[in-house]
Amino acid sequence: MRTLAYLLRESWVNMRTNRMTTMVAILTTAFTLACVGIFLLLYVNLRAAAGWLQDDIKIMVYLDDRLTSDSIAEVEQHLRSDRAVASLLFISKEQALGEFKAQFPSESHLLEGLGQNPLPASYVVALSPSFRSPDAVKRWAERVRQIAGVSKVDYNQDWIDALATVIRSIELVAIGIGVILSAAAVTIIANTIRLTLFSRRDEIAILRLIGATTSFIRIPYLVEGAVLGALGSALSLVMLKFMYELFRQQMRTTGRFAGLDNLMAFFPPSVCLALIAVGMGLGFAGSFVSIRRFGEGKA
Amino acid sequence: MRSTSQGTIFDGKDTMIQLIHVSKQYDQRSALSDVSLEIGKGEFVLLMGPSGAGKSTLLRMLIGAERPDEGQIFVHQKNVTTLRPSDIPYLRRKVGTVFQDFRLLPKKSVFDNVSLPLLVQGVSSADIRRKVTEALRAVGVEHKRDQLPAGLSTGEQQRVCIARAIVNGPVVLLADEPTGNLDPVLTSEIIELFKLINARGTTVVVATHDPLVMAQVNRRVLTLSQGRLLPEQRGLA
Repeated sequence: MRTLAYLLRESWVNMRTNRMTTMVAILTTAFTLACVGIFLLLYVNLRAAAGWLQDDIKIMVYLDDRLTSDSIAEVEQHLRSDRAVASLLFISKEQALGEFKAQFPSESHLLEGLGQNPLPASYVVALSPSFRSPDAVKRWAERVRQIAGVSKVDYNQDWIDALATVIRSIELVAIGIGVILSAAAVTIIANTIRLTLFSRRDEIAILRLIGATTSFIRIPYLVEGAVLGALGSALSLVMLKFMYELFRQQMRTTGRFAGLDNLMAFFPPSVCLALIAVGMGLGFAGSFVSIRRFGEGKA
Repeated sequence: MRSTSQGTIFDGKDTMIQLIHVSKQYDQRSALSDVSLEIGKGEFVLLMGPSGAGKSTLLRMLIGAERPDEGQIFVHQKNVTTLRPSDIPYLRRKVGTVFQDFRLLPKKSVFDNVSLPLLVQGVSSADIRRKVTEALRAVGVEHKRDQLPAGLSTGEQQRVCIARAIVNGPVVLLADEPTGNLDPVLTSEIIELFKLINARGTTVVVATHDPLVMAQVNRRVLTLSQGRLLPEQRGLA
């Protein structure tokens, strides 16, 4: 117990003795991790937005004009038996015309000039959640196109594909920047610990001479690295939250993207804790690198 | 003291330290050359010789801080030359070391400095308090327990260093020029302290180039010259 207290006290003494270096390490780690956090936040929000859009996706299955009511019933039977289909709504030619006139009253005379209703009957299909990915939607649409009596299947393919591409790009950038900046955070903490090790080299030599094991010597520095990483990470979350709230405030006051600010979300507490744990892990790694380089076998 | 020119077979329980044909070179300069010696349990041995004779190298080898290029070293029935690095701390817990420059931690109190060897072994708080108090009392600086090393005289600092070396009851005490920074009166006091520690059964090896120490100790003397062990002699009465 006394040994544990000693090791923790040594970590605290290390940080207090090198106050300035400790502060700089925490701040630079915080800025570094905040840069990663910005991309992560963007990624999380875009993923959520993509999820809402996917949930909302409606696929129009247009029917051939020459279909009899029996054939229409066959198509409907086909669609209803499909496990990808969550819900189905039939829109007859007459309903389609009515909706067109309601939506575009000034253009309705164009259709009247044709003499007969040119709009096809259709089904509005919503897919089950597990069939809402861009690839699954595409595959389903291609399959339904083969059904006899279906003239066309329509959905916002381009939009979904573009969004998926943007999300993938941000994901890649976030991973790339995350890896690079995490390495930077490890280096920053490693250098801080190296300075501490250097300033306490005589003390370390004495500890070795009186029979301290390698782990006894290492623990205070590993704890110090982990604490620096955790504090840096926590501070980066505070900075991110501040920037996030500022951004939302701006959106509200300017009136642009009205309503979007309510859809945005910060990291949930579990993710915040996970990010602090990641910071702690990076700090631990940085400290470990320094201790290894410092050489454990020296007397 | 039983040093031999050919070395001896390690005879176990009565031998505390044994070197068999030990040699060490630094940058092609010989620090120790074919040194063989044996020190029994409870002996008090002076390791004499001028600066650069190889005394410190020999002491550092006994605690595994240096490895010989050739030969074997046994301390307390352990072959130091084949010890894994992870086992060296456990050897050092049985061997107390005293230095000319004391090597005390300047920001820790006398009590905290002396308690370090016990802390690294995970000794309980109550035992630490008891053993540190005993060690400080044995070397006569119990009343300085809360002071920082900077507030002590050089003699007191050396006493604290000795207390740290004996606090966990080592089987061997190694001292490298322990009186190098002390005047004759303090030297005499420190040597008396070593004699007391030796009288309690601890094997004591003191490396020194100070003839005053040899005169006062009057025990077996090992003399190193340019890394070679000279024929054995007794200290002056």
